[in-house]
Amino acid sequence: MDEKTRQATRYWTLAQPAVSAFVTSVVRDFRDRDDVLQDIAVAVVESFERWDSARPFVAWAMGIARNQVGLYLRRRRRDRQMLEFDTETVNALVSAFSDIADEDAQPQLDFLQECLKRLEGRARKLCELRYQQDLKPAAISNLIGMTANAVAKSLERIREQLRDCIVHKAAAQGTVR
Amino acid sequence: MNEKTASLIDGHLDHVLTPEQHQELSEWIRSSPDNARRFAAAAMLHDRLRNELMISGSQPDESGCRVRENSDTPNAAATPNSDESGSVTFFRRRSLIAFLSTAAVISIAIVLFFKSFGNSPTLAAASELRRLIELNALPMDRTYQITVEETVLPRRGRRGPSPEDGRPPKAPLDGATLYVRDGQQFVLSRITAAGPFVTGSNGKVSWAVRPDGPVRYSEDLNRFNRDVPGHEHDMPLVNIHEGLARLRQSYEVQLLPIEEAEFPEPATRLLVAIRHPGERGAKRVEISYEVESGLIRQMRFIEMPYGPQSLTLRLTLLSEASPGEHFFDHESHHDANRRVEAE
Repeated sequence: MDEKTRQATRYWTLAQPAVSAFVTSVVRDFRDRDDVLQDIAVAVVESFERWDSARPFVAWAMGIARNQVGLYLRRRRRDRQMLEFDTETVNALVSAFSDIADEDAQPQLDFLQECLKRLEGRARKLCELRYQQDLKPAAISNLIGMTANAVAKSLERIREQLRDCIVHKAAAQGTVR
Repeated sequence: MNEKTASLIDGHLDHVLTPEQHQELSEWIRSSPDNARRFAAAAMLHDRLRNELMISGSQPDESGCRVRENSDTPNAAATPNSDESGSVTFFRRRSLIAFLSTAAVISIAIVLFFKSFGNSPTLAAASELRRLIELNALPMDRTYQITVEETVLPRRGRRGPSPEDGRPPKAPLDGATLYVRDGQQFVLSRITAAGPFVTGSNGKVSWAVRPDGPVRYSEDLNRFNRDVPGHEHDMPLVNIHEGLARLRQSYEVQLLPIEEAEFPEPATRLLVAIRHPGERGAKRVEISYEVESGLIRQMRFIEMPYGPQSLTLRLTLLSEASPGEHFFDHESHHDANRRVEAE
């Protein structure tokens, strides 16, 4: 591996969480996210020489991500059921995710794994079905005897609790900015 | 962030929003950079949850603590558990995510390294054209603006007989709008001195709506497509995929260097195709496209035969949005009381 590729790898590793979250927020389906993310990684490495190092890498990678997401949306646009953000909203998100990555919000999220360990029972099951199985609330409701609305509300509540847990742990360890 | 907005964000991530709620969320995100950042923060957690649970799903369950869903003191549920093994797992997990990410890039780099062998400009151009054909094979609606840069009339006495002989002159193309959909569906809308002149096809019949007189339609799909440039020379502009495939067969293709653009505009590139001797069609075709997505923004046809004339024209992509389900039916382009005649 040459020095350029090594450098691209290092930068990509740092940018990937924000880029991945951006893709998820627009694409939403996790399997599709993985495919799009792979295309972005290829495009980033392929065009790394065109990156102007005077500019933040994450913002540049996010520009590539935006284009790849645009391509994905073009492929899916024939599906009239699909809800998608307009260009202006997507551009606002590109800036927001770039800002968040620059602010280095990652250390706080590193507490997520510890907070997840505290989930049990139905909350744990819901998370596994949603995030491991990539099931939507309607599909989950068929499996566990709740309404789709109740599943969605429970997931919302679980995420809120996890967020509180992360903030609390970060504060205790002095990593809150 | 109020409770309603938080619900909209969560609802978006879980695919449970109605189109109206989705629109509301979109407007909220656009209304301020702070809102967009709040959304981004929620999406970061959602995305990380997927990664963490995918990793933990492939490992033995090591849970022993709990988050109480209805705790009276929410923070009490989240009290740090300052055990050492937690820290070790924490760093191991973080390293694992970084490792997976890096491993993915390294494998990509290896593929790219081997791909770089044997690349010549000609092979690279051919390979890029193949990629463009694949990316533009998507069956989707496109709207183009037509701009005629130059019209060359045949020199007197140089022209042989033409299928256009005896037909009325074609309406001007400059400024026309061309809508295309897969299945040879198209609408070509031109403005004439007498009013709009629209021709098209819905894939079942072709039709013409003149500024005056009856609307005409025919089951011959080629009956009213003679005004669409390229139809005579197997490079129908109504089918971009076929047009690109024709470039592969009958043209020498070259790639120009990538042109960087100011962020957030994507980088673009120009692909130039020069017609092989003895082939028919435009003498030269220039395709400007976005490098990453392959989205073709503009196509320029130089010296393209058009009836007895030769045109240099460009098609600029205006939109990829659908103009409507019935837009390619002639009924969408005239009053209901207009007389309609079959040919």
